[in-house]
Amino acid sequence: MTDGMHRRPIVGSGTVVRARALSLGIHLLLCGTSLVMLYPLLWMLASSCKPENEIFSSMSIWPSRLDFDAYVRGWSGLKIGFGRFFWNSLVISVLCVIGNVLSCSLAAYAFARLRFKGKNFWFALMLGTLMLPYHVTLIPQYILFLSLDWVDTILPLVVPKYMATDAFFIFLMVQFFRGIPRELDEAAMMDGCSPWRIYRKVILPLSLPVLATAAIFTFIFTWDDFFAPLIYLNDIGSYTVQLGLRAFVDSSGKSDWGALFAMSVLVLVPVVAFFLFFQRLLIEGVATTGLKR
Amino acid sequence: MSRASANDTRAYLFLLPWFAGFFCLTTGPTLASLFLSFTSFDLIQAPRWIGAANYVRIATNDVSFIASLKVTFFFVAFAVPLKLGFALAVAMALNKGIRGLPLYRAIFYLPSLLGASVAIAVLWRKLFSGDGLVNKVLALVGIHGPSWISDPDYSIYTLVVLSVWQFGSPMIIFLAGLRQIPHDVYEAASLEGASKRRQFFKITLPLLTPVIFFNAIVQTIDAFKAFTPAFIISEGTGGPVRSTLFYTLYLYQEAFAYFRMGYAAALAWVLVLIIAFFTAVSFITARYWVHYDD
Repeated sequence: MTDGMHRRPIVGSGTVVRARALSLGIHLLLCGTSLVMLYPLLWMLASSCKPENEIFSSMSIWPSRLDFDAYVRGWSGLKIGFGRFFWNSLVISVLCVIGNVLSCSLAAYAFARLRFKGKNFWFALMLGTLMLPYHVTLIPQYILFLSLDWVDTILPLVVPKYMATDAFFIFLMVQFFRGIPRELDEAAMMDGCSPWRIYRKVILPLSLPVLATAAIFTFIFTWDDFFAPLIYLNDIGSYTVQLGLRAFVDSSGKSDWGALFAMSVLVLVPVVAFFLFFQRLLIEGVATTGLKR
Repeated sequence: MSRASANDTRAYLFLLPWFAGFFCLTTGPTLASLFLSFTSFDLIQAPRWIGAANYVRIATNDVSFIASLKVTFFFVAFAVPLKLGFALAVAMALNKGIRGLPLYRAIFYLPSLLGASVAIAVLWRKLFSGDGLVNKVLALVGIHGPSWISDPDYSIYTLVVLSVWQFGSPMIIFLAGLRQIPHDVYEAASLEGASKRRQFFKITLPLLTPVIFFNAIVQTIDAFKAFTPAFIISEGTGGPVRSTLFYTLYLYQEAFAYFRMGYAAALAWVLVLIIAFFTAVSFITARYWVHYDD
């Protein structure tokens, strides 16, 4: 997906001027759309560092002067500081990334490379779970975790990721592993390597792009997740950033929009950072696999 | 131990985490939820078998269910076509070999990536409030906008706009699809004097139908499952006057606000049936409009 691959427009009998005008028109349209799409985000960013009285008096994205007081107010706006929420979210997200990459790659390796009885049957069932909306398992899972005394801990959010419950990522990895030349594992097998060693020393090192895609999307999905923390975390001390924001809306947020915007901006920062650093990987992930975000 | 069964054991070891999840977190709970949907269960007393009573009540005697169904269908019917139409239009514009494509693509994709965050729902609530940015812009052209969020006639539209705003990921998929269409098809068509309009309807659209189909299914299922924005914008109530009571929000309330677990399980199964119905209809009708290369 490089720039060089673009098709040039078909230009009929030398109507260069018309083609130029068309191209200019398209650029204007795209720039306009970009502006409309980004304006809300820029406005939020600007509002978070405007003096409080300016937020709703002005539509501008240029603050008259920079004022970071909203960040200070927001950071300790609830009875527990946002630092705690960030820490909680970070711990949960990192643990989920590790679990997902590990358990999904193990399963994917078995499906892509090993021969065993009932492989097609289990593979079909695995794909079948892709179709199942999580609402069906939601209530029994909640009852299960409740009876294990896991509610109000991070376990219900993290443990499922160590059980390869994101079938989509298994599928993604199976597709990638299948593309690795089989001669490599066969050569390793000749040398007496066990499947476990082949998985670790051959397959994983050659699969960094797909592992990275899975890791980044798992991080973003977990970081953004609101529903699971909402039902499993009740104590404010164990809140994630998304729950923290919600609590903030319900309490002081109605009066102090500057502080609420400031915290919202901070919550978006990790996702934007991933976007900036791994843009190509993310966009290719969507283009080639149809990931829905 | 024979060699084959030793191989099997080894493979099953790799699959052990997946098996654990498949049985304990997927299959088991699925069966349990089917059972629960025929009971009355409040988490305190043991589930009490009540036959199909939950389903009967859903079908005949639940105004909130009807309201949530209306809201959800309305949302799906508006948000999905608008989002896909927008995604396709922008993808077509980007596919004209314009300069700066990576930058545009990145800008349009960013909202897709951020949109699920509570932070964006918070922003939306403020953009569309009575004195919000949207009304200030409308005032510039002399329109006095309503108080979008707190007016039951308009609140759902703010969520439709939020969904359309996230057109980036279907757009990227469309763009990838457009690139698959061989260039010489257009050259041949334009040599034969086919207008741009005709080329779009006779070449681009038919060749793109598999991608349109894929995007439509994914986005429709996703729209049925929407939760967070409606929850934040309505402060968890689905209000004003049930105008943003998405199906999932209603299900959440039944389960985790009123602890009617049996009833909520039945609601979940009805959702599955609805989604399965739409998917099945799409696949059946696909035969008539989706064009596959043979």
